[in-house]
Amino acid sequence: MIVVTTPEIPGKEIQEVIGLVRGTSVRARHIGQDFSALLTNIVGGEMEEYTKLLAEAREQALDRMRDEARARGANAVVNVRFSGTEISVGAAEVLVYGTAVRLGE
Amino acid sequence: MAEQARPTRDDLLVMAYVDDELADEQRKSLEDRLEHEPELARQVASYRKLAVLAEQVAPPEPLDREWERLRAEPSHRAGVGLGWTLLLSGLAVGVIGLAIWVLASDLQFWAKFTCLVPSAGFLILLWLRWRDRQRLLPFDPYTEVKR
Repeated sequence: MIVVTTPEIPGKEIQEVIGLVRGTSVRARHIGQDFSALLTNIVGGEMEEYTKLLAEAREQALDRMRDEARARGANAVVNVRFSGTEISVGAAEVLVYGTAVRLGE
Repeated sequence: MAEQARPTRDDLLVMAYVDDELADEQRKSLEDRLEHEPELARQVASYRKLAVLAEQVAPPEPLDREWERLRAEPSHRAGVGLGWTLLLSGLAVGVIGLAIWVLASDLQFWAKFTCLVPSAGFLILLWLRWRDRQRLLPFDPYTEVKR
């Protein structure tokens, strides 16, 4: 499954546009990680706990989008975009969407 | 706007080869071709030089190694363990003490009920959620994602 942010894939021809596919994930850390992040907030530096949280949500959302594309018979997703918002404090929401297509060999 | 030249199939193969992303079969097939196609071999050498240059321009982030080194220090591990033990045991003693104080206080029954029963309900729900999380944790493939 090829996943790209571009509308085309060099060297490949889009044979069929299947449609919009998307994946969403909202994940939270436990309170201990929030406490560690609070300490980092005091002294500065990267909040690794939240970097990891966002990365987990991103990968899960991407996998869900891929699953949907695969289920609809696509072998690539083009024009992929990421979006995020805040539903609750300390949680990460990631929405990823793109256009599922079928590429020629 | 001028359109960039699209990479050929060989360009993409060579890029993937230099980045060590080819499957064994594809890699062997390309290596066979490299022995007989000097132009392709020149292209591989050129991309390898670019890869070295890219690493020099943007060296790998040393942060992970430094964090691992700091976390491996015995004083750091002991400090983290002691800190969490003190914090959690202090909180647990505080909650238990508060519950005993409320029970032993002169508060009316309804006030005791309002303080303790919802707290007990909260703790039961929290424990159930924690237990579910522990059960599902082995099936969560995203816990290993670092960044």
